[in-house]
Amino acid sequence: MRRTALAPALLVLPGVAWLAAFFVLPLLTLARTSFGAPWWDGYARAVTGYGTVFARSFGFAALATLAALVLAYPLAYVLAFRAGRWRALLLGLVILPFFTTFLVRTFAWKTILNDGGLVVHLLQAVRLVPADGRLLDTAWAVVGGLTYNFLPFMILPIYASLEKIDRRLVEAAQDLFSSPARAFRLVVLPLSVPGVLAGSLLTFIPAAGDFVNAELLGGPNQRMIGSVIQAQFLQGRDYPLAAALSFGLMALIAVGVLAAARLLREEQLA
Amino acid sequence: MNRWSRRRFLRTGLGATAGALAGSGALGCRSSAGGARVVRISNWPLYIDDRTVPDFQRATGITVQYHEDINDNNEFFAKIAAPLERGQSIDRDVIVLTDWVAGRVIRLGYATPLDPGGFPNRANLITLAQDADFDPGRRYSVPWLFGMVGLGYNPRVTGREITSVSDLFDPAFKGRVTMVTEMRDTLGLVMLGEGRDPARCTADDIRVAADRVKRARESGQIRAFTGNDYTEDLANGNIAVAIAWSGDIQGLHADNPDLVWVAPREGAILFSDNMLIPKSSDRVALAMAWIDWCYAPAHSAQIVSRAGYISAVQGAIPELERIAPALARSPLVNPPASVLAGLRNFRTLSDAEDASFSRIFLDAIGG
Repeated sequence: MRRTALAPALLVLPGVAWLAAFFVLPLLTLARTSFGAPWWDGYARAVTGYGTVFARSFGFAALATLAALVLAYPLAYVLAFRAGRWRALLLGLVILPFFTTFLVRTFAWKTILNDGGLVVHLLQAVRLVPADGRLLDTAWAVVGGLTYNFLPFMILPIYASLEKIDRRLVEAAQDLFSSPARAFRLVVLPLSVPGVLAGSLLTFIPAAGDFVNAELLGGPNQRMIGSVIQAQFLQGRDYPLAAALSFGLMALIAVGVLAAARLLREEQLA
Repeated sequence: MNRWSRRRFLRTGLGATAGALAGSGALGCRSSAGGARVVRISNWPLYIDDRTVPDFQRATGITVQYHEDINDNNEFFAKIAAPLERGQSIDRDVIVLTDWVAGRVIRLGYATPLDPGGFPNRANLITLAQDADFDPGRRYSVPWLFGMVGLGYNPRVTGREITSVSDLFDPAFKGRVTMVTEMRDTLGLVMLGEGRDPARCTADDIRVAADRVKRARESGQIRAFTGNDYTEDLANGNIAVAIAWSGDIQGLHADNPDLVWVAPREGAILFSDNMLIPKSSDRVALAMAWIDWCYAPAHSAQIVSRAGYISAVQGAIPELERIAPALARSPLVNPPASVLAGLRNFRTLSDAEDASFSRIFLDAIGG
């Protein structure tokens, strides 16, 4: 009896200790750092001075999430239902980019999107980019970089939820004279919503706080909140402001996640 | 100064790796009991030739652990400040920091005074280097090298000569201008363009210069605020005009002889990177031997032959003429009197000023 009560406690202990030491403690330190003089000074400046940067960060993250969703859903669908013996290989290809660090891959984009590069010349030839225009150091490049870097985080959860769907439900729908499109809309799509939401969160959250893409692929008018926090910590040494901005980002994301979780729960109950 | 760093992102990754590779030297080197004579030096990457260290070791019998582990003044300061404050060793005997951080280190009492007795070559200090507002009388520091902040440009792209700070704001170059993330360099140069003096700047001067930068940034005039990475964009023609460090352009000349560095007619900024002995060093005599060695004209010429910046040693230029005659004639290494006359230092700021000016600057560059 006592052993059964003790065992779960022992099992969670390492994880809890780890989180306490490496998440809760730093968070408390950060909270203390955020108190300026007066204590709300950093927060006041974060709220008044950085609205545009927050809006831009969430805007870029939302666009990247949407783009990733549009790219990922059909791909995950094919992987789950149509890939057959190619499935393992295709899944491997989705994960392959993780074999090199995303820093190096983002640097590679810098070269690919370079003003004198092939991509810019091609787009200029078809008039998608003006003759004296560029891709690097624009919002396009930043959103593109975010989409590229977080795409696998969208594909995998959607694939997992599609793959779990009981095929007999689709067959049943078709037996009841549903067209394939209708079967998809009424059966497959609703059942894949948890995957879509999970993928969206896994893309949106890190994208909103990302600073590498904005820093490497964007210009000074495309800076995201992550690069501002980094610069305020290391260059500005304005610790209260940087810490307050970090908490602001965390709070806004937490609200978003709670809302999404609630949506997900209602979806599952329905 | 970000001289040769490839931006902070590479730094976080590669810097950590380099630190790990440096291993014993990084932060755990213990002096061996046998009294081995080892001097431990931190400097910026690509800031020395490959003969000076071996020559010094042969001549003195002192072993040199030479670490190229300074990539950013603020970051390096953050790394050494806490142990020095607690009186712990940073396992370094000579460190090389840009003037304003060197000043902070001295102010906080983290540096050991240089020993004049162990420094006969001190007599070779050029006039310019004999005093500094951050270190009156040069009691704690001597320059490793001097450098200039001016304009770098690619004549193929600009189609004309660049002569003035106001060229940075010429609408013809919209979206093809870069400035640097070093506050003193960018604001100092813009201030000169406004006819204001960075050596005596006030909060108002800072605000006016920052405001000009901010408006240019918002209008899309400025493509990026960079570390040394502007060099690639300048070389491949993406950028027309850049705020540029003289030695960077000197370094690019090998592959891009067209690139020009110019001191604008309003003047250029002079900076120095300075050798200091951290107070935790227990090998001051060895550190002095190294500093003295670097102040022999022939040795300084040797260093400049690779680094491409300005020597602080009297007589280095004639020595450089013997080993690298073309370089010795380069105005970037041997600036003519007309350029020297227009060089200004950014004045040393108090910590409170530094904090408030940095905020104004970060806001201007969009951070």
